[in-house]
Amino acid sequence: MDIQNLKTAIFEAGKEMGFSDMEISYVSSREFSCDVFKEEIDKYRIAVEGGLSFRGVYNNKMGYAYTEKIDESSVEMLLENARQNAMIIEDEEEEIIFEGSSYYEKIDFYSEDLEKVATEAKLQFLKKLEKACYEYHPMVDQVNHCLYQDETSQRSLYNTKGLSKVEKSNIALGYVSVVVKKEKDIKSSNKLIVTRDFKKLDPEKIASEVVEEALARLGASPVDSKNYPILLKNTAAAGLLSVYSSIFSAVNVQKGRSQLKGKLGEAIASGVVNIVDDPLMKDGVASRSFDSEGVASKKLSLVEDGLLKSLLHNLKTARKDGVESTGNAYKPSYKGTISIAPSNFYIAKGGNNYEDMVASLEEGLIITELQGLHAGANIISGDFSLAAEGYYVKEGKIASPVNQITVAGNFYQLLMDIEMVGNDLAFDFPSSSYIGSPTLKITQLAVSGK
Amino acid sequence: MLDRLLIEEMIEAALSTGGDFAEVFVEDRYNAQVKLLGGQVEKSISGRDFGIGIRIFDGTNSIYAYTNQHQKDQLIKMALEASKAINKVPQNITLKFMDEEILNKHIILKDPMKVKAREKITAMKHAYEAAKKYSKEISQVTVNYIDEKQRILVANSEGRFVEDHRVRTRLAIEAIATKGTELQSGIANYGAHKGFELLKEMDVKDLGKEAARIAVTMLHADNCPSGKFPVIINNGFGGVIFHEACGHGLEATSVAKKSSVFADRVGEQVASEIVTAIDDGTMPNHWGSCNIDDEGEPMRKNVLIEKGILKGYMIDKLNGRRMGADSTGSGRRQSYKFAPTSRMTNTYIAAGDSTPEEIISNTEHGIFAKNLGGGSVDPATGDFNFAVMEAYLIKNGKIDKPLKGATLIGNGPDVLHKIDMVGNNLEYGQGMCGSISGSIPTNVGQPMIRVKDMTVGGRGGEA
Repeated sequence: MDIQNLKTAIFEAGKEMGFSDMEISYVSSREFSCDVFKEEIDKYRIAVEGGLSFRGVYNNKMGYAYTEKIDESSVEMLLENARQNAMIIEDEEEEIIFEGSSYYEKIDFYSEDLEKVATEAKLQFLKKLEKACYEYHPMVDQVNHCLYQDETSQRSLYNTKGLSKVEKSNIALGYVSVVVKKEKDIKSSNKLIVTRDFKKLDPEKIASEVVEEALARLGASPVDSKNYPILLKNTAAAGLLSVYSSIFSAVNVQKGRSQLKGKLGEAIASGVVNIVDDPLMKDGVASRSFDSEGVASKKLSLVEDGLLKSLLHNLKTARKDGVESTGNAYKPSYKGTISIAPSNFYIAKGGNNYEDMVASLEEGLIITELQGLHAGANIISGDFSLAAEGYYVKEGKIASPVNQITVAGNFYQLLMDIEMVGNDLAFDFPSSSYIGSPTLKITQLAVSGK
Repeated sequence: MLDRLLIEEMIEAALSTGGDFAEVFVEDRYNAQVKLLGGQVEKSISGRDFGIGIRIFDGTNSIYAYTNQHQKDQLIKMALEASKAINKVPQNITLKFMDEEILNKHIILKDPMKVKAREKITAMKHAYEAAKKYSKEISQVTVNYIDEKQRILVANSEGRFVEDHRVRTRLAIEAIATKGTELQSGIANYGAHKGFELLKEMDVKDLGKEAARIAVTMLHADNCPSGKFPVIINNGFGGVIFHEACGHGLEATSVAKKSSVFADRVGEQVASEIVTAIDDGTMPNHWGSCNIDDEGEPMRKNVLIEKGILKGYMIDKLNGRRMGADSTGSGRRQSYKFAPTSRMTNTYIAAGDSTPEEIISNTEHGIFAKNLGGGSVDPATGDFNFAVMEAYLIKNGKIDKPLKGATLIGNGPDVLHKIDMVGNNLEYGQGMCGSISGSIPTNVGQPMIRVKDMTVGGRGGEA
């Protein structure tokens, strides 16, 4: 059944059932991915999917339901589930179905060229990438993952207040992971490239970077346990920021789950720190022109010169705080309810070269990798203690690789302790949001090693 | 769930370009989720997942396609499109499905879909109130309830045609304690392959109190020191150490490609003699159990390590081809959106001889990791890490002050040799394990164990 007809059927039946306002969002996508292992196609994947989410106001409460079976047989189940779900909601804050913003930016997040790339070209890229890794150095023992993936998705939002928005986007990624071996010493490294431009997937360049990184890790050992000045490399800093980006969500602040409560206008970071959420970023994975409630997207400055300027809001939290929505309403696919999430969210780049930042360390550590972020970083307290890898720096020069250590600190304190911001902005693995940071120099963190 | 003739046609289409094996996976699942925040129902959502996955093998290469479209022409088109990744002469495969009745080992007493939302909310509120009442320092409590009812069908070109039903219910509580601007959290959860009877059998108030107790204890804890210590890991969810340190490295996913530190080591001493480890998907109504795996193979009890000797791996069909070994009933996936691969089910270290009191009194100076969070591992190197949610200092054989912010790191093969005491109090804890075939329910388990020395990371400086 065509989505427009289904929409009409749902809204009509919903009105009869007693819903006042209603909204449906429909997300559909087409995905391709392929893994190459030892010159052969190891995994080859195609996916076509879609899901429909309904929400509606029943007796002033919002009820949600969804289905993956998109046909008339689902209409009654959707409405009845949503009604049941609305009836048990006790939260007294009024939910809003939005009539639409007055203006939406017209930016295209869909590349027709990417859509046209032939399967054969994608497979060639993978075979070349794998080969380039093996050929780059004899110590490359295995290329254990060599993956290409692309996805085209379309999301639509329609409601009984007249909102009607559709947006199409696509993205491609290349990922490789290598294992290097020197006698009994085994080290691994991986690299991810995310782009809308297939030509940016350069096998030779990716191979040299990933293998160099793995080789540099050979011979790593723990350092003495003590506090060290730290250079948090861009991707590691982005990973840590990913975990803690939720402290900027107004819903977490309002519900007492973030320590930024009452901090608007105050210094929450050192004066060299600026944090931005930019849903309109050209190469962003989380780019969009409207959010999950239909609010127009715009670039937002959260932290300026260390001062907290804004939180991330949806319509409900904005009304509670007496401000405007920042367009950060987010629904994790059609299966979720409306919450808040950043889009393309990053610490803005500063003026320092990476080499100069290394040279500024008398004695310290460069942390290139943080592990177990989902477990070892406590979002509520801000405390983190994480397994880490990197390099020991002596007199401004890299002296030796380091592993089997932990670095511990508190994220709120870390924001205050940022002394230098690099000019090498890089992004973490994309998830619901796309989060980035340049390399950061931190006054000190507690390191546990030998 | 899907017309049998259509499934046959899909398999024939999938094999039309020379594939030597094809499988159709159909999933129909109902999910319900309720969230209580500050004692009020804040969110309630329910829905239906329905989709179909098709997998084709060409030797050890595999192709996977899925869709939640369910019209005949769409499904045949998808099977044909997937088959295009192979370009060979079709093999002569005659399709004959054999109906199999699966003996259900996991009896469900109360279908959660037939339970009124009110009843679920009442139980959640009991948990909330118990947590909130525990201390004036408890400032926020979140209670999450989920239930799911999953029906699957697996049909393949070897003639398998089999269905399974799974019902799971879980309650999770997070309490936050506040003092000035400092916040600390405590988490407690319980789940099983059961229906709503789970909430009747368990004490939801105790679970609420436990979350609150951890949060308040951590609010008054010192920072954990850093350095190397003997570490005592508590029973139950403490088993996550084996799951990360060793379990992932015993999955054929990494063994078959020899990218695991445990590859080619069956028969070798890989752990200290007091360590026996088992993965058992048959344990009635346990969180990680199913009747059959997601490739249609009956789940079974697999001894991984016996008295320190490596006995075997957890193997799925595809990696079994690579290894020249049979499936061990370990093929699992989150949903039809994932191709299955070898995963853990209920994985535990078997009980030993020591009492918990003996283990603690035999430790002069060390760390007691009472409640563990999650962790991760790089199977290629065996390096793992995991977070400790609640820890204590051990001084002169006695449990001393509480410690916060501790992380344990180590190397899997190394730490297994360093386990020098195993308790007699085997317990289980429920987790969600994320890997290439998605996020799946897994049980971890162990009695209390002691590791001779481990790197502990915290902010408290050297002890």
